[in-house]
Amino acid sequence: MNQALLFQNLRIRLLRNSWRAMVLQSSMRPLTIFLCSLVVWCFVFAISWGGFLFLQTEVSVPMTGEIVGVLLDLLFLSLAVLLVFSSGLILYGSLFASPETTFLLSSPVAADQVFAYKFQGAIAFSSWAFLLLGVPILIAYGIVCDASWIFYALLPLFFLGFTLLPGSLGGLAALLIVNYFPKRRKQVLAACLVGLVMAVVVWIYRMAQASSSELWRDEMREAVTRLLSYFQFTRNPLAPSHWVSLGLRSVVRGEVGLALYYLALVWSNGLFLYLIAAISSTWLYPRGYNRMTTGGDMRRARVASVGDGAVAYACGSDSFRESWVDRLLYAALFFIHPRTRLLIIKDFRTFRRDPQQWGQILAFCGLMLLYFANIRRFVENISGPYQSGISFMNLCAVALLLCTYTGRFVFPMLSLEGRKFWILGLLPLEREQLLWGKFVFSMTGGILIAGGLVLVSDLMLLMPALPVLLHLLTVFVLSAGLSGLSVGLGACMPNFRESDPSKIAAGFGGTLNLVAGLLFLLLVLGLMAAPWHAETMLGEMKELSMLPIGKGIAVICLAMGLAVGAASPLLAMRAGIRALREMEF
Amino acid sequence: MIKLDRVTKQYGNKTAVHELSLDIAAGELFAFLGPNGAGKTTTIKMMCGLLFPTSGAVYIGGHELRRDGDRARQLLSYVPDQPFLYEKLTGREFLQFITDMYGLPRDKAVERIAEVIELFELHEFIDDLTERYSHGMRQRTVFASALVHEPRVLIVDEPTVGLDPHSVRRLKDLLRRQADQGTTVFLSSHSLDVVEELADRIAIIEHGRLVACGTLKALRDQAAVDGSLEEVFLTLTRPVEDRVTTRDSISFPRSAWERK
Repeated sequence: MNQALLFQNLRIRLLRNSWRAMVLQSSMRPLTIFLCSLVVWCFVFAISWGGFLFLQTEVSVPMTGEIVGVLLDLLFLSLAVLLVFSSGLILYGSLFASPETTFLLSSPVAADQVFAYKFQGAIAFSSWAFLLLGVPILIAYGIVCDASWIFYALLPLFFLGFTLLPGSLGGLAALLIVNYFPKRRKQVLAACLVGLVMAVVVWIYRMAQASSSELWRDEMREAVTRLLSYFQFTRNPLAPSHWVSLGLRSVVRGEVGLALYYLALVWSNGLFLYLIAAISSTWLYPRGYNRMTTGGDMRRARVASVGDGAVAYACGSDSFRESWVDRLLYAALFFIHPRTRLLIIKDFRTFRRDPQQWGQILAFCGLMLLYFANIRRFVENISGPYQSGISFMNLCAVALLLCTYTGRFVFPMLSLEGRKFWILGLLPLEREQLLWGKFVFSMTGGILIAGGLVLVSDLMLLMPALPVLLHLLTVFVLSAGLSGLSVGLGACMPNFRESDPSKIAAGFGGTLNLVAGLLFLLLVLGLMAAPWHAETMLGEMKELSMLPIGKGIAVICLAMGLAVGAASPLLAMRAGIRALREMEF
Repeated sequence: MIKLDRVTKQYGNKTAVHELSLDIAAGELFAFLGPNGAGKTTTIKMMCGLLFPTSGAVYIGGHELRRDGDRARQLLSYVPDQPFLYEKLTGREFLQFITDMYGLPRDKAVERIAEVIELFELHEFIDDLTERYSHGMRQRTVFASALVHEPRVLIVDEPTVGLDPHSVRRLKDLLRRQADQGTTVFLSSHSLDVVEELADRIAIIEHGRLVACGTLKALRDQAAVDGSLEEVFLTLTRPVEDRVTTRDSISFPRSAWERK
């Protein structure tokens, strides 16, 4: 059998069996995923549709002109950058760090066929976020522009061709880094990420300055021209993201021939780059595996774990060669019992050494950050109710991300101790410390990620100090609550036989945790943030002011939200601690 | 069938395998012993084409692994100490995947799958997802998949770990039968009783260097011990200062192997 066909059959069988198993195990799970995805999709569609309509009717921006072109350029460039990183990370994980690697490399299957198989998986996995967030934006664009059916027919073709370019680039980068920096591959990746983040921060800063109120004192045309100059880098004629943008705008204008030219340009370049990546993989993949296995960093082999860990940390003993990140975290958590801190550091190490885990969070956060950074331009001239409404929607989106994070990564944490659980069980510490360690780890991560995102969103929306503080307080309560629920329920319903976190999260316990998390999220958002926003929005829109929501009610609701936020995690943690105390292993 | 020609493998500055030469004939059951970290798994991975020798060459069925890896791997099956199964495939689907991968014609594949299901008594669970298998069930399925395409070389790393005595007995019979049918079996194990019972020839590696290679009798002579393989092994892998002869002074005739 043709090897490509062989892997296609394998993929189909794996997907079919996984789907059957998921439905059999818990039919609630796929339904919940579908409904959540639908809510997010509709939300993004509504925002985009409103935004494009606003640009068209209120500001009279031509939909196929330069301004919208810049927005589309930026959208596709952002997606390209995210796809390079996410597909590169996923390909690295599946080509070099998966248990399947040894099996496939010792079989007679050609290395480029394995690369092709893994490449397709990585592209599918890393681009589903685009389908969820990018497609509604483009469909909204098509509707507002009154585009013909050809636009919708060509959309998936443009997208498929486009993903080949960043995907191949990510794959090539993964192969080259492993081949030429086998000892320093993580440092190279970290340097790339830091470079990217710095570039984005500098750009956002310059953008923020450019779109400050002083700029708008100039003539509108000059102001727009100055603003557009900051996006010049997205409009490079050699940038594939620009080709996609030009192609889509051409088809909206009815210039189908030109659109097909850009489509051909995208596909031919995408296939060419993929060909280079696939041909390179025939020697770079086996060589890379060999280099990584035998040329890797040997330092870990010298690490000796002796003595009391807490004492060694505190004294900076050389018998522990832990990284500076661990030391920093240990110092930052000074208020926690030293032994609990050691457990937190163990969880943190496990998490950060699994790129497939944090890669997903990184991709999500990247998408959200880009959205928050770009929303500034949409709301430049609007204030009051819309500003408040959008900030609340952003808070809801971050809360959903937090709920996904705790459900996907925190709930399975105790189960993942698996057969090694007896090691923790025999440690000279109270069992409840295990749970509190995981709770603090999860809550700290949640506050840092969600708090950072909400802060960026509110700053970009120029929100006043009070709602910013209210949002941060809400994020704190949500992080604590969702962490408590996930850790507590994770201890009540552990699955020690499973080693795959996604399977644990997809089980009955994981689904129950997800549903509980969503209810908690709705309750806290409804009590803590919604009344204030409703009061602000309706207060300013007198004609809609039908609900008698005053500041007093908002404060009472806030207090109730805090009470719910404190009680829920405590109850869940209490149940989890009780379950863990009675657990036999 | 398997030939290692002055193979050296370095991990950075550390030499994992040093100038190792082996010549293993078709139908031989060859056991490969050594303390932990001696270089056994590195050697096996080089024989499967997973790692490349820093110097020297590995041949499987006359094909040099670096130059002609695909053809060489077509001839062999590797059962690692932690074997891999696709969790979301049934045992039968996994066997089908293996026969397709090795290019068996459909009729032949159907026949072989039926044979290995019978041989390894997989009937009861062959149509369940492998994620539900116990350790013993996984091990049987992995061996079935390793043999379903009738390899000429079978490389097995620590196959008896976690198996009950009945399963170990079945495994020993299977390995012996495979060798008798002409398959070259390369067995790496710490279970010295299994090796003592099965192996035609035994090689002992320590710190990446071959310290002994031959029949059990030859090894006994070399160690000047007339006891079990365990005693022979402990004598030959004793620290250098405790030994009468140094490691470098030991020489091994690479003559054709002789059956016990």
